[in-house]
Amino acid sequence: MASKIITFNLNGRETEVLAKPLTTLQSLLREQLGYMATKTGCRQGGCGSCTVLVNGEPMAACLLPVEDIAGSDVLTLEGLTPDIGLHPLQEAVFDNFATQCGYCTPGMLMVSKALLDQNPQPSRQEIVEALSGNVCRCTGYEPIIKAVQDAATRMNGHSGGES
Amino acid sequence: MSVKNYYLPQSLPDALELLQQKQEDLLVMGGGTVAMPLINEGISSPEEVMGLRQVGLHYLRQSNGSLTIGATTTLTTLLRQSPIEILAEAASQTGAWSVRNMATVGGNFFVPPPAGDLATALLALDAQLTLAGPSGERVLPASEFYTGFLNTKLEPGELLKEITVAIPDGHTAFLKHGRKQANTPSIVTVAAYVKLEGQTVTTARIALNAVGPHPIRARRAESKLEGTQLEEVAIEKAGEEAAAECAPATDAIASEWYRRKMTKVFVRRALQQIAGKESA
Repeated sequence: MASKIITFNLNGRETEVLAKPLTTLQSLLREQLGYMATKTGCRQGGCGSCTVLVNGEPMAACLLPVEDIAGSDVLTLEGLTPDIGLHPLQEAVFDNFATQCGYCTPGMLMVSKALLDQNPQPSRQEIVEALSGNVCRCTGYEPIIKAVQDAATRMNGHSGGES
Repeated sequence: MSVKNYYLPQSLPDALELLQQKQEDLLVMGGGTVAMPLINEGISSPEEVMGLRQVGLHYLRQSNGSLTIGATTTLTTLLRQSPIEILAEAASQTGAWSVRNMATVGGNFFVPPPAGDLATALLALDAQLTLAGPSGERVLPASEFYTGFLNTKLEPGELLKEITVAIPDGHTAFLKHGRKQANTPSIVTVAAYVKLEGQTVTTARIALNAVGPHPIRARRAESKLEGTQLEEVAIEKAGEEAAAECAPATDAIASEWYRRKMTKVFVRRALQQIAGKESA
């Protein structure tokens, strides 16, 4: 069987791609579409750097065949970022020094986006649990947790749990 | 990538038919959280792959005091919708959020330890597995399903269709010991079900993971408990028995010695938790 035409919604835009059998969403995004925010980390589903949202749920793009997401809504960091300025989550990451080399940041942001969409006032424990699949080797996790709490406040006017 | 064909059947009969045609040439994949890493690494290079994500087995159904879980139900769905506490607890302690959104309940029966913690909880609940094949369906207790490391009684041409458990009428506990508090490979996982009549244990089921070639029942510990009072001495003995009968291996996560020690400790803690619930 040759490549298949797959249609899905990428960052609000209907997108049609030609994918070889079992191409992962990660390699499609980076190698075919040039969406480079979604990182290539372990390709084992273990580091979280390729996390994207599929129908609002975080998924490891490195483990996800493109065929499986036909007809789905996919959100990457490119889609989270507004045309002008930054998303409150990005602002909070910037202001809290929650990024250093930046490799884990897109995945962290996408999981945090899903968390705050589903739970606008997460406790610290809920934030930690949500981020537990995302590995950061630079900053430690404290500034990242603070950034998510900060973003929750910016987006909802709530504190996001005591620190 | 050497994959020539990737199939996404839209129904169980379609999946079974494809499996019948291709037999062992076809790699069957549930959520892909175990198969895809091997393919990405080049450890596995199948030419024909079948994904089960759209096969229509994503459901939880409750009837007559039992819960039936479709094999491709994601761990997230189970975590959010399970009426059985221990299953939600086990799902919450399996993988990270993004993995739980992909990994399937049925797939957990086909993963190598230390993975398989959810199947361990299902084992403690005496789950019954419905296997669908070319000549119909058969039901097998989960406790008889495993035959060895990555080996089960699933016959060629068969697929796991659904998992059925009775809503527990006794007490349950689920404890996972890892190096981190979340998203961590197991050092030992203990799932326990105990039914009491008065103070006497009438039924005990203790399932262990990461201390054998697959999730196992600690049968000798169970029989030590049955007929006794659920109290300190009996609990201690059950822990010792479980530690003696398990068969842990040394790996990067923990040594055989430490796993055995922790088996004793965590079986004891699980039973103490149940004893505490009873007296509360």
